[in-house]
Amino acid sequence: MLFPTTTFAIFFMIVLPVSWALQRHRRAWMGWILLASYVFYGWWDWRFVFLLMASTVVNHVLAVGIYQSTSVAARKTLLALAVGFDVGLLAYFKYSGFLVSSVDNLVGTSWVVDAALPIGVSFYTFMAISYVVDTYRGEVVPASFARFAVFQAFFPHLVAGPIVRASELMPQLETPRDPRKVDNSRAFFLIVSGLFLKIVIANHLATHIVDEVFAAPNRYSSLEVLAAIYGYAVQIFADFCGYTNIAIGIALLLGFKFPQNFDSPYTAVSLQDFWRRWHMTLSRWLRDYLYIPLGGSRKGRTRTYANVMITMLLGGLWHGAAWTFVAWGAIHGIGLCVERAIGWRPTSTAGVWLGRILTFQIVCFAWIFFRADSFARAWQIIRRLFDAWGEPSPLITTSVVLAIVFGIGVQYVRPSALQWLELRFGRLTTVLQAASLALCLLVIDALGPQGVAPFIYFRF
Amino acid sequence: MRLPPQSAARGIAVCLLTLIFAAFLNAKGMRKTAEIQQPGVQRSVGLAVAKPLVDVSSFLHLTAPRHGIQVALGRQSWDDIDTQVRFTLPPARQRTATPPKAPVRAAPHHRAVLPRFTAAHPLRVWVAGDSLAEVPGQGLQRVAGPAVDIVGVESRLSTGLARPDLYNWFLRIPAAVRQLAPKVAVFSFGADDAHDYLAGVPKGRTVGPLGSASWDAEYQRRVEGVTRELAARRVYVVWLGLPIPAGSGFQHSFPIVNRILGSVAKANPRTSTYVDTWHMLDDAHGRYTPYLREHGKLTLMRLPDGVHYTASAGDLIARQVLTQLRVRFAF
Repeated sequence: MLFPTTTFAIFFMIVLPVSWALQRHRRAWMGWILLASYVFYGWWDWRFVFLLMASTVVNHVLAVGIYQSTSVAARKTLLALAVGFDVGLLAYFKYSGFLVSSVDNLVGTSWVVDAALPIGVSFYTFMAISYVVDTYRGEVVPASFARFAVFQAFFPHLVAGPIVRASELMPQLETPRDPRKVDNSRAFFLIVSGLFLKIVIANHLATHIVDEVFAAPNRYSSLEVLAAIYGYAVQIFADFCGYTNIAIGIALLLGFKFPQNFDSPYTAVSLQDFWRRWHMTLSRWLRDYLYIPLGGSRKGRTRTYANVMITMLLGGLWHGAAWTFVAWGAIHGIGLCVERAIGWRPTSTAGVWLGRILTFQIVCFAWIFFRADSFARAWQIIRRLFDAWGEPSPLITTSVVLAIVFGIGVQYVRPSALQWLELRFGRLTTVLQAASLALCLLVIDALGPQGVAPFIYFRF
Repeated sequence: MRLPPQSAARGIAVCLLTLIFAAFLNAKGMRKTAEIQQPGVQRSVGLAVAKPLVDVSSFLHLTAPRHGIQVALGRQSWDDIDTQVRFTLPPARQRTATPPKAPVRAAPHHRAVLPRFTAAHPLRVWVAGDSLAEVPGQGLQRVAGPAVDIVGVESRLSTGLARPDLYNWFLRIPAAVRQLAPKVAVFSFGADDAHDYLAGVPKGRTVGPLGSASWDAEYQRRVEGVTRELAARRVYVVWLGLPIPAGSGFQHSFPIVNRILGSVAKANPRTSTYVDTWHMLDDAHGRYTPYLREHGKLTLMRLPDGVHYTASAGDLIARQVLTQLRVRFAF
């Protein structure tokens, strides 16, 4: 079920009041929200609900085992089993085809693996890993099976994050939400801004320049290729930030607070800063469950660089089963190492702006590999950037330029301005709030494409 | 300064009122969304709600803002529902779907007088259809040389020749021909047509389920009609067949559409051709495979949904399209 559909609107208008009505009856509430989450997930393919359930059962049993075990060896074994199960799940469903074809192309095996990719598997698997690892570290006490099942399957974050931690969501699931303390204004603001980013900005750029240019760059001028690269940078931000805004807003209406996932990433002054602002819940997951366990920056300069590279390469691979994603991770990894080596930390105004411009260019360069379907296509795009200046550029339209400028410019709007808007909205009466939201939906629907386009991050 | 938190009841009330207001403001869009559903409970309920909503909304002039925005954006026809299957030519004489007895020998004869296209005077190709049209269209943009100009790739999700109520290709095709002046039209239709319901059936005629003689005849009338209309405008048609799918459901329905597309192309060999993507993308045992060996490398051809193409498959299909076009055109 996709958020920007009538089906979801009807689904949510059933789930929301019943959820609040059952708040004081925890068992009934858990049953209801779990059922709703499985219906939400099963709407795509009901078979994968069983996979999600299997992941819940295995991780819960092993987490409880880790918690109850007094032997260090037993705890380590159970942790290895849990992580092995989760990584194995990802490896089979997400990477088996990629791994087998890569091996085949090296040694010629003629094996073919055809495993359908369950939607959101990368997200809920990472949440499960964090849960068992936190249990092993003694940071989390295993919850009841029902609560863990809700934690993992809770529909607002299920298919594309944010990647919420047990320590953030479990306590909220434990106690009834207070129906007198709901941040409605923020929720509606996030939902409407998310819909606008996704339906208007991301879809417009995808269909009016990005898809065409990335499919056949040699047919387009250098200016169009450059605009398509910047356009993709805005598209992927609008698409993913839009989705998580909606997810966070929906959770807020249900009484739950999710962590922030984006913080104006294209205003970053360095790549390190970028990763503190882009897909923040994934960044911190990679930091806490990969980079730091590898040794982080505690084991000397060379080892630090190696750890950064391993983290970024695996972070790239998390996004997709292709070498182009690994290359994307490598570009970021190399950039982070270079920044560390030269000690890049701009402080002056000129330095900050230089940092912003340079960082944005490097991020956009890396997006080429992220978006291109092969290295050959990525090279075509890069070559085309230089050899077709002066050719006609019919794809550079006013609406494309406006969408790119808006997508970047909105990140420079001060949070206080947005809060002012939120405040004004919050002071309206119920009817006026509803009327203004309905008008926003009218404009978004009218400016958007016909039909519903899938979200980019669903495939990750 | 932040607002004090509000009550959940207020949140629910705002949600509900927003949806009610939005329903009135977008009533025509909702009616179209309901209308284009597959027949069933969802469509019946949707229409039962949407039709009175449109009446009330129109009476109160609440449809005006949406219409105003659509006019400003040049999208005034988006909410229209036109189910008519229009052809300017009279129906062809009854012809069976079986291929002609004698093999077509026109190619060698025509080879001598093939119209020639160059970079200065390129062959104009328009690619259109459902979501399966996009990747082969992009493939053509990549693999076609300068003598072939891809004048447009028009891929409209979930559309086809069966549901003009969803999107009326019978109106769009002649309009696109006038606008883009293609010499060749490459169509990928059928993946969303392989259902029981056909909209725009002439009055007095009933059509049975997918695969019945009446369904086949009506669908064939449409494919044949498009082919003949374009032939009259000197546009050559390439019908892309549906690829072998991963799911068992489509394994039965796609061949029905393919049989019709193939038979129409065989019956009109001078003006159309059929590209068999089913067998292009199956494995040595005639089964679905996501990978094929390309230039010695195992290459992913299909997306995880088991229907759509990867760029590599798009290139493969595009090369086959060009091969078949070379029978009719020199470029």
